[in-house]
Amino acid sequence: MSIEAARRGIALALESVVFVYPDGTRALDGVDLRIAAGERVAIVGQNGSGKSTLVRQLNGLLRPTEGRVLVDGQDVARMHVAQLAARVGLAFQNPDRQIFAGRVRAEVAFGPRNLGHAGADVERAVDEALEAVGLAGTAEANPYDLGYSRRKLLAIASILAMRTPVVILDEPTTGQDARGATRVRAIIERLSDEGRTVITISHDMRFVAETSRRVVVMRAGRIALDGTPAEVFAEPNWPALASTYLEPTLPARVGARLGLAGTATERALVEAIAAARASDPARRRV
Amino acid sequence: MRGSRSASGRSATGPTASRDGRASDGSSGAADSRPEGRLIDTPPPGSEAPGASPRRLPEYVLREPRGTYHALNPTTKLVIAFAEAAIAFGVRGWTGPISVLVVLAITAFAAGVARRMVPFALATIPLVISILLVNTLLYPGAHDVIVRLGPLAPTWSGLTAALQATLRVVAFALSAAILGLTTPTDDLLSDLERRGLGRRGTFVIGSAIRMVPRMGERASEITDSQRARGMDTQGGVLRRVRGVIPLAGPMIFGALTEVEEQTMALEARAFSAPARRTVIRVLPDSGTQRVVRWVLFVGAIAAVAAEVSGRLRLP
Amino acid sequence: MTLRLAGARYRYAGTPRVVLDGIDLDVAPGRVVGLVGANESGKSTLCLVASGLAPGSIGGRLEGSVTMDGVETVTLAPHEHAQRCGVLFQNPTTQLSGTAVTVWEEVAFGPRNLGLAVPEIVERVEWALDTLGIAPLAPKDPARLSGGQAQLVALAAVLALRPAYLVLDEPTSQLDPRGTRLVGEALAGLAAETGTGILVAEHKTELLAAMAQDVAALDAGRVALLGPAADVLADPRLVDLGVEPPAAVRLARALEAAGLADPRLLAAVEQAAAGGDDGPVEAAGVSDRPGVGQGRA
Repeated sequence: MSIEAARRGIALALESVVFVYPDGTRALDGVDLRIAAGERVAIVGQNGSGKSTLVRQLNGLLRPTEGRVLVDGQDVARMHVAQLAARVGLAFQNPDRQIFAGRVRAEVAFGPRNLGHAGADVERAVDEALEAVGLAGTAEANPYDLGYSRRKLLAIASILAMRTPVVILDEPTTGQDARGATRVRAIIERLSDEGRTVITISHDMRFVAETSRRVVVMRAGRIALDGTPAEVFAEPNWPALASTYLEPTLPARVGARLGLAGTATERALVEAIAAARASDPARRRV
Repeated sequence: MRGSRSASGRSATGPTASRDGRASDGSSGAADSRPEGRLIDTPPPGSEAPGASPRRLPEYVLREPRGTYHALNPTTKLVIAFAEAAIAFGVRGWTGPISVLVVLAITAFAAGVARRMVPFALATIPLVISILLVNTLLYPGAHDVIVRLGPLAPTWSGLTAALQATLRVVAFALSAAILGLTTPTDDLLSDLERRGLGRRGTFVIGSAIRMVPRMGERASEITDSQRARGMDTQGGVLRRVRGVIPLAGPMIFGALTEVEEQTMALEARAFSAPARRTVIRVLPDSGTQRVVRWVLFVGAIAAVAAEVSGRLRLP
Repeated sequence: MTLRLAGARYRYAGTPRVVLDGIDLDVAPGRVVGLVGANESGKSTLCLVASGLAPGSIGGRLEGSVTMDGVETVTLAPHEHAQRCGVLFQNPTTQLSGTAVTVWEEVAFGPRNLGLAVPEIVERVEWALDTLGIAPLAPKDPARLSGGQAQLVALAAVLALRPAYLVLDEPTSQLDPRGTRLVGEALAGLAAETGTGILVAEHKTELLAAMAQDVAALDAGRVALLGPAADVLADPRLVDLGVEPPAAVRLARALEAAGLADPRLLAAVEQAAAGGDDGPVEAAGVSDRPGVGQGRA
């Protein structure tokens, strides 16, 4: 498989997946989830709800205790982690659990090389990934000289360089300032525009509402809610969100006060208010 | 909510705190009438609440041990384990390891931990097997061959040496296991601290012991991260050697940064204060135990010395 | 009676770069001062300097003055800083001693270092746990707490030294929304009830909007903006400093940009931002079991 050929998304599916850790913790308790090729999904829920366990099923780091996991229609039970790594890229939360190389460039090249690529192919993938995260200027630097937020972007670049059809980002905005968060949004937009399947795990509901087309809420190893941001953050779901300590976004809360539905993001709220006023010049409602 | 919460003592060096107005049961008298004060307000004299009970350590901190062997002073149990290990290894032949194993068996049943010792015994199996194989087959200078199997020639003297070595290893493992099963690490450390092991020594040993599970967790996170980037952890020797750096690098870096953070966090908790550290759990000890400890300690050393000098002639 | 930085300039040991370049900042008793700024603008360094850990424990070169209630911090030993100014960092796990069997003993670690008498230790530990509302955690194993619980225990452990000031470096960055809320509420209560002066660096400006009276924005080692929290957080220059304004400010701006803002609408934004759509009561969050598989999920 050429490294250039991976520019398309693939579908993922979990079928009645149960996962029990060796200590008996039932981290996934019957999860059914289908993600179509090219979808942009956010997985949310409090720590321990099973988010990270779920995404580890998708690249074979964990194998389901019961049920099946399908990547591009194939059962992962018959695939090696190395094979899966070429299809599903997973950028972990803590960059310091992966960075080992003495130079930024070498760190980013690690993944593509492991996938069997070499030469100019790798160089191009590395340059492009560093460009995407804004670290092109520090390609020759020592990763340990970068601050935490830039190490985090480096870890994301090292996954981007593998050009996998599926990219999973675990808490990509933790420790990022406004610029870093903007950078991460741009990366997600771009991956999605290229047709790849993008999954983000995040605690930041505003980020989730603005960057995803679908939100999956996990609670105690099960899927509690699943829908578009507008659906998930709609008023009837607030008790369910609160039960897992999540708050709807501010635009959703303001929208509910104004009697407007589907206002999970600022843009959606502004548009809904403008539309309401246009159809109701007397401004009886808003 | 406990009763009175009026301000009481003050620290030797720092600002003193008053904490008042929290009592809801009216027992704190005068303290209630004062407004919520700043943390460093000094309490007016005599603000000690009437009827305040002396503050005691909660049960879960006292953790009274149950059972005779468990209740021995931790240092006594440490010395027992030391003596057992010394005799098992220091006294050659069968006598040392076998007598220690007998003592261990009796103690394990008496302390009620026999069943929980099984995993520890099982854990020695890989080592036991390698000792048996290597010694039986390759014992230097032995000619009393048991049976010749092609190029292999196990010897009786090799087998004897191997069995004795095996018993020593098992005895050592089990003496450590009994200590571990009957003595919380923290108890042993606080007892040693009370006996004069410095706070740094105590901390280094204590945190090293507790770091093991955390290191394991970190190692598995690192392995996950690198495997997710396509690293193959199986394969030939060269591949494995090259795989060491991606695993060891983050391990070392992580440990270094955490040590830095932890050092600052310790300073922020007055770890380097010059005062003698307060021991909150004084574990019971007795004159008899002190005698037993010295007897065991001196006895074990004497037995080993006698053995080494060749004066002890035991089977 | 203030924690005061006056013209503070600081360089880490072995580097020529001036990380703090003339900081003037006061933290008065009972006030919560928020600290915002882009990454690498000097927030963490300011926390170290304000608490006396830099240069006290980690070295480096400090010019200007940092005083706690009039005492220059450079004249104090680390254990003396610790009793005047508590520090809390991002990562809950590295801050716990790792040697205590119960939360109670974890909190007792600092007072024991001071060599206090047992009744005094008991008093302080129980006070610290009560103040943060985490008394139910006392018998638990510190290694088995959720992130938010562990962070509160680390905070209680610092409080048991009875500092007049607290410096917190992104105390919620590693926490989920529930943990963030636990810590945020505890801090706000702490300042109000005990008169502790708090300096808190935070990316989450919503949290600062809820609990800080003043906010300082740093830019390249200098204080670029300083004033009442509401003013600084609504300052249009904040975005250029790499700081995300609170959701309410952003939303009001978006409405204005679209020509939709009117007093009634802005009031609705204010009300929604102020809450009233609260989730479950937090007390339950402290006493119940830690999340399943905490740390790997």
